[in-house]
Amino acid sequence: MGLSFDDLAGEAAVLGVYRQVFAVLARESGAMVLDASSVDVDEAILGSFAEAGPEGLTVDQVVIACARFSGVQVRRRFEVLRDYRAVERVKDRPHELYHRAAFAPYVMLLFLRRIADRGGQAELHQLLTLEHLSVQESDATVEDARGTTHRLSTVFRLLANQLAGLAVGGVVETLRENAQLLWGNHGLLDQANDVHQTVLSRWSMLDRECRALRLAIAAYRDAVDAAAGRLIEQAGATRALGLLPVEAWRTFAREADVGALSDVLNEFLFDAPAPWFAADTLIEAVESAQHTTPVRITPPRPQTEPGSVTEDAVPDAEAERLRALAEQLLGERTQVSVTELIDEIGDWLGGRRLLADLTAMHLHDTLPYELRWSDRLRITLEPSLNWVTEGRFARVAQ
Amino acid sequence: MNDVDQAIAWARARAAGPQRVPPSTPSGVGMRRLVETEAGATWLLPMLPEGAGPTVLEELGLSATAVEQPNDTARVLAACLRCCWSEPNGSPWPGVVASWEQVTSVFRGITDNRDERYSNIALVAGVRRLAGAGWLRWSEATREVQLGPRVALWRDPELSTLRELWRLIPSIDIAPNLTAGPDLAIGPDLAANPDLAAEPDLDTEPDLAANSELGTTGGSDE
Repeated sequence: MGLSFDDLAGEAAVLGVYRQVFAVLARESGAMVLDASSVDVDEAILGSFAEAGPEGLTVDQVVIACARFSGVQVRRRFEVLRDYRAVERVKDRPHELYHRAAFAPYVMLLFLRRIADRGGQAELHQLLTLEHLSVQESDATVEDARGTTHRLSTVFRLLANQLAGLAVGGVVETLRENAQLLWGNHGLLDQANDVHQTVLSRWSMLDRECRALRLAIAAYRDAVDAAAGRLIEQAGATRALGLLPVEAWRTFAREADVGALSDVLNEFLFDAPAPWFAADTLIEAVESAQHTTPVRITPPRPQTEPGSVTEDAVPDAEAERLRALAEQLLGERTQVSVTELIDEIGDWLGGRRLLADLTAMHLHDTLPYELRWSDRLRITLEPSLNWVTEGRFARVAQ
Repeated sequence: MNDVDQAIAWARARAAGPQRVPPSTPSGVGMRRLVETEAGATWLLPMLPEGAGPTVLEELGLSATAVEQPNDTARVLAACLRCCWSEPNGSPWPGVVASWEQVTSVFRGITDNRDERYSNIALVAGVRRLAGAGWLRWSEATREVQLGPRVALWRDPELSTLRELWRLIPSIDIAPNLTAGPDLAIGPDLAANPDLAAEPDLDTEPDLAANSELGTTGGSDE
């Protein structure tokens, strides 16, 4: 049975909180929580102790009770749990085999799962309510109030720091994943202000602590504003901040195994990828077709303006070349036979180039030459150019 | 329909889009049945929840499936919609069959200043593309065009926009026996030849939509 995507996300969230909370302890004991299954192993170990009753269990019994997991894994987690005293020997003596579990770590675990599921917002509300009640109690002392103020300042400082860091420098995806920190902040701020008000009016000597709390609350409010602003700016058109980011889906699709992928596909029916034509697209396309005028290429500008003298025309390198060539071909004569010129050249490539030049001279509107073809065709057998249309190339009066 | 059949039907739809099946085929969960006019076949169209349509892509800044010649293809679809959506007060599905000449004329009406040859190339290419994507049904043999199952994906707000489009595009009615061919000119010819065989069709159209704003459409074409 595969894990659905929600399960994976849930595990990741649990792991995130777990890691934060136990990082310090775990680092010291050399056993970081590196995968979500170790949280499950912990839960299973504590569960087996709950089943076992007051006599406790040996390590081997625990391994057997947690047969779902590999023995090595269970033993390793057992060591970790013992290191931070979640599991203790029944009697503190050497070679004592029986252990029992403290209830606090399990409560902590439940609490962690709950925080991971709901984002810790509800717990924070409860904490605020409790603190408010405690400072309202008639027998509350200055020290209680000082403690309360100090704790709340710390909570809001931490919240604000985390959010501000994300809002300023974080990747927007991370910010979106942590958007739950933003939710319900009005309620939190109001409650915190109530506590602050109560403390300040009852114990005016706690002015300094209250100031710290005020600053912490204000910092949290600023961080919330900054983060919300960043999210809204990044979101663009969509307001669906609760949607999983696109990257998360891509990563999942790339990394999930067949089972996990097919579990997702069991739940979703979607259409095959196909071009989509929104109504607006159709309207735009039709309207743009009706309003376009055919593109016209501007005609080439004449090289001489009508009525202006030839000298005004832009000097034309091609015309100069043709003029020089024409003068060379004509020499002193006013006209020359094309056949004669072709015969001088004698080969096909040169003849072709010559014909092209002659035609260009004829067509050029500033050059005083003309090319006239006759109807006669000279056919000879010997040279390579044996079919030559007769014609004459002449200088004309301007 | 058991789980396996359902899974297969879903897999087909996810891979290849709307499926044309015999009318007796049961439809799985989440599928919409679209019956063809002659009831000879049924299309199974995957229905997406409201707000999960292709518009989400735009919101997320992702590119949709690319279309070649997107504008011309959209114009071809608009032309076919004009020809096949017989009663714009209702749903475009199933619509009526449009002859190739009708579609050609309307398409040329939309893109009136274009060379005929290029216009035909664009039209054929567009129709093939749209038929491949399930927006049109096209029979190459009979050269008849019908709207495809995907038109049923347009929701009400979009349909009202499309009705505007329907009114925007001048209507061409060509009776099947008319031999004028694809190069039939649009408005002026119809106005110049009141005896044209298409004339009765022009008259019936406003009657279909009597007492509605569509009544003005038929008149404005002339």
